[in-house]
Amino acid sequence: MDTREYGEVGAKRRQGKTMNSASHDVHADDGGAFLMPRHSAKILSVRELAPGITHLVLEDAYVARHAAAGQFINLYTNDPTRMMPRPFGVSAVEGDAITLIFAVVGSGTLDFSRLRAGDSIDVLGPLGRGFDMSRSARYVLVGGGLGIPPLLYAAQQLMARSDADSLALLGYRDIRYADSTASRYCDAVRSIDESEGNVITLLNRHLGGLDGDECGEGKSGETIILSCGPHPMMKAVAQWASAHAIPSQLSLEARMGCGFGSCVACVEDTVEGRKKVCMDGPVFTADELGWAV
Amino acid sequence: MMESLQTDPAGTGMRSEASGEEGRSPRAETPGTDEPHTGWRHGTVVAGVRWKNPVGTASGTFNLAACGRYYDVSAMGAISTKGVSPVPWEGNPTPRTAETPCGTVNAVGLQNPGVEHYLIDELPKLKALGATVVTNVAGHSDDDYAQVVARLADSPADMLEINVSCPNVSHGGMSVGTDPLALFRLIGRLRSISDKPMVVKLSPNVTDIVEIAKACVDAGADALSLINTLVGMRLDINTGKPILANNTGGVSGPCILPIALSFVWRVRQALPNIPIIGIGGISKGEDALEFLYAGANAVEVGAASLLDPVAPLRVAHELESLLDSRPQLAEKLEKGMAW
Ligand SMILES: Cc1cc2nc3c(=O)[nH]c(=O)nc-3n(C[C@H](O)[C@H](O)[C@H](O)COP(=O)(O)OP(=O)(O)OC[C@H]3O[C@@H](n4cnc5c(N)ncnc54)[C@H](O)[C@@H]3O)c2cc1C
Ligand SMILES: Cc1cc2nc3c(=O)[nH]c(=O)nc-3n(C[C@H](O)[C@H](O)[C@H](O)COP(=O)(O)O)c2cc1C
Ligand code: FES
Repeated sequence: MDTREYGEVGAKRRQGKTMNSASHDVHADDGGAFLMPRHSAKILSVRELAPGITHLVLEDAYVARHAAAGQFINLYTNDPTRMMPRPFGVSAVEGDAITLIFAVVGSGTLDFSRLRAGDSIDVLGPLGRGFDMSRSARYVLVGGGLGIPPLLYAAQQLMARSDADSLALLGYRDIRYADSTASRYCDAVRSIDESEGNVITLLNRHLGGLDGDECGEGKSGETIILSCGPHPMMKAVAQWASAHAIPSQLSLEARMGCGFGSCVACVEDTVEGRKKVCMDGPVFTADELGWAV
Repeated sequence: MMESLQTDPAGTGMRSEASGEEGRSPRAETPGTDEPHTGWRHGTVVAGVRWKNPVGTASGTFNLAACGRYYDVSAMGAISTKGVSPVPWEGNPTPRTAETPCGTVNAVGLQNPGVEHYLIDELPKLKALGATVVTNVAGHSDDDYAQVVARLADSPADMLEINVSCPNVSHGGMSVGTDPLALFRLIGRLRSISDKPMVVKLSPNVTDIVEIAKACVDAGADALSLINTLVGMRLDINTGKPILANNTGGVSGPCILPIALSFVWRVRQALPNIPIIGIGGISKGEDALEFLYAGANAVEVGAASLLDPVAPLRVAHELESLLDSRPQLAEKLEKGMAW
């Protein structure tokens, strides 16, 4: 983004009273002010966390101040011919530094993996409705593959809370790239790779009462599952949770045309019809999705 | 990261960092909502309707609940809303979008909550904010279009934009918009239902755009908007299958700009007096100006609004500066003339 010398017009502020659409206003604390549009951010570091997985840190005071766990940001490549947004869950916030962890799967993520400290990149966000962690509870973070990054930020926020515990149950294809970060934030971390099983194996093992609930009940009696991973995995998690009478929140993925609610490209079927993953989600409850059995 | 925004003068209609995290104080208030917006220096007139500036949002790339959080939508020349159908439509399966160099291919399939919802939700909210509203109308059949236009006839919508050019629905849409006789019948029928300024949105997926444009004008259309998206597709070379669930979709973005310009130019050559809204690949003020020189009286910004919510307002401000140094063009626009 270059200069914004736009003159004096368009001066009226948003009038909250007439909008009445703020069900998922990203940050109500801004009162009537407008959200930050797409803007440029500086890359602080880029490194390979594991083969094919990039750990990228960028400096963005606005996103840092406002991002909630489960929300995402759009990155835009510096190649003007590749215009579409690439959404990534916020994985950590430290000061003004935002961490993203992503797999290199296509042209955009390849570009991002080659950025260097000092480069700039366009960002929009934070976007979407994140996890609801308002209750005092034990939060079980069930992550699969590249669904784990947003759960790390949830764990980071839960760590600061005296009324909540966190247990991470993480499933990988092979390399357990997030275990060490998760153990910094979570009260307990259990992980598994495909040679041994999946997150349902972990849920049965650690919450299902088979070997006793070895990770403990937590400070409050209530357990809430927060999950992010491949679609079939989350469906299975939602069904497992409802069979065990545990509420679950699932963070979905969708191909996005905008990421902020304008184009209706990113829909998911819910019990109330087709909803936008980018604005009504990406986090939905199992009940909203009709995934509870 | 925000140096560029710090220089932003107050009152641009969008957030500026200089206005502080509280973000409120420096913006001047615009009194009332029905008063003419006097801040813009160069307006335009389309089919008798005054736009505060010549730049609108393009249908399907604007949603009030989404965009109203980022800028003062009433500052736009006009807001063309998402196509509305008589009853809610659930649209196509996903994926609905794919990338292509300098553009996107989409097949949303006109998912929308229906005209009844529109009449109690987005339309009154937009009017309360002071926006000039172009209501985009969708249908699967002539009866569908007629039903929606009838419901909108005494609504506060400023203009109707009849979308006979959507490539992503199996009936109606583009199949009407590519047949001059069918189009003449449809527009004639809609004309008899409502006196509202009526724009017909044309498809570029035709051999002879002039024939189509003339059919609309002969049937009583007050203005034309063009172009809608071009039929296109992308395939995933790993699976060998189309990326879009609908297989094909509509191409939009900067890659279609030269095509759109040529359509506007051809229609303007053939029809010197009909108001034209130019659409296709506009992402900066210069693009908008190019459309005005091709013969458009106004423009709409589509795909660019999906890549930055404030893009249409930015284009409007950029065009304003360009018109400052082109007083003759600016004067013609104010008088509702194109060339
Ligand atoms: C809310 C959300 C959060 C995400 N968080 C993460 C994360 O933390 N870490 C991570 O590794 N990945 C994450 N993803 C997936 C990530 O967005 C895609 O892997 C990435 O966009 C691929 O871009 P590409 O240019 O490399 O692929 P290309 O195939 O070149 O991309 C072409 C287009 O398709 C889109 N696309 C391709 N694959 C996906 C996909 N799986 N999901 C959505 N859009 C896709 C791209 O955004 C782009 O617009 C997230 C997706 C969503 C929706
Ligand atoms: C996601 C998306 C949805 C659209 N929906 C509509 C619609 O509902 N009605 C319509 O007339 N045009 C619709 N269009 C077409 C645009 O209004 C515009 O004509 C086209 O995209 C070309 O302009 P652009 O290159 O600036 O995007 C849509 C376009 C996109 C990208
Ligand atoms: S991606 Fe555009 S509405 Fe969700």
